[in-house]
Amino acid sequence: MPADHRLDPTWLDVVATALARSSIAALEASHELLAHYADTGDATTQRAVDALVNHAAGTLSALSECLADTSRELQSA
Amino acid sequence: MTASLVHGDHVSCSRVGGGMRREASRLRQHALSLEDAIGELVVWKGPGADAARPAIVASWEALRATADVLDEAGEALQHYATDLAAGHELGRRAELRVHSAGLILDGTRVIEPWGPASAQESERRCSQVPVVQARVDLATAHVGRARGRLARQMASLAQALARPPATP
Repeated sequence: MPADHRLDPTWLDVVATALARSSIAALEASHELLAHYADTGDATTQRAVDALVNHAAGTLSALSECLADTSRELQSA
Repeated sequence: MTASLVHGDHVSCSRVGGGMRREASRLRQHALSLEDAIGELVVWKGPGADAARPAIVASWEALRATADVLDEAGEALQHYATDLAAGHELGRRAELRVHSAGLILDGTRVIEPWGPASAQESERRCSQVPVVQARVDLATAHVGRARGRLARQMASLAQALARPPATP
């Protein structure tokens, strides 16, 4: 198996840190989205907005986990 | 005076839209930092790099795409808030017109009130119904268009939301 071309290991730390920070930001954004309510005044429009907000919050939460996992893997590489 | 003809709270829509755009901006900043960091990994070769790089790039792309969707959704909500505020004002004016004409609203329909009235008064009220109804329709149509637009944008953006990459 070919050996990895070594780069400065601190760069892996830099990327891992950037991933970890992005993970936290994504999780915070997810919580922030769910913390407020936009009253559109119409049931159909409200469902569309709520669905988007819930979908975005879920996506951000999943993305946060993904970023954190990748960060941990890099740190242990 | 709170308009009852047009429902909804434009302040909350504006606040949520603004919040979405702020979060989108923060996420974009993180995506940029991540992009810079990834750029330094180009010299990293080998099996470890081959395994890790796609996951990192996929996460970065998903972060950027989600930020774009959030920003667009926030902008759409802010536009809706402006339309809703204008709708409230149109509705308020229409309601004043209804009351000053001695008419009443049944939902969004302008009708003559129940009760005794002289033939002259009844005829006067009746003649005003079409004009006053047009004012009411103007307000409801304005908001209806804005609602349709927002619902379509939200549905389209929900579909566009990036699926998070699978963890390698």
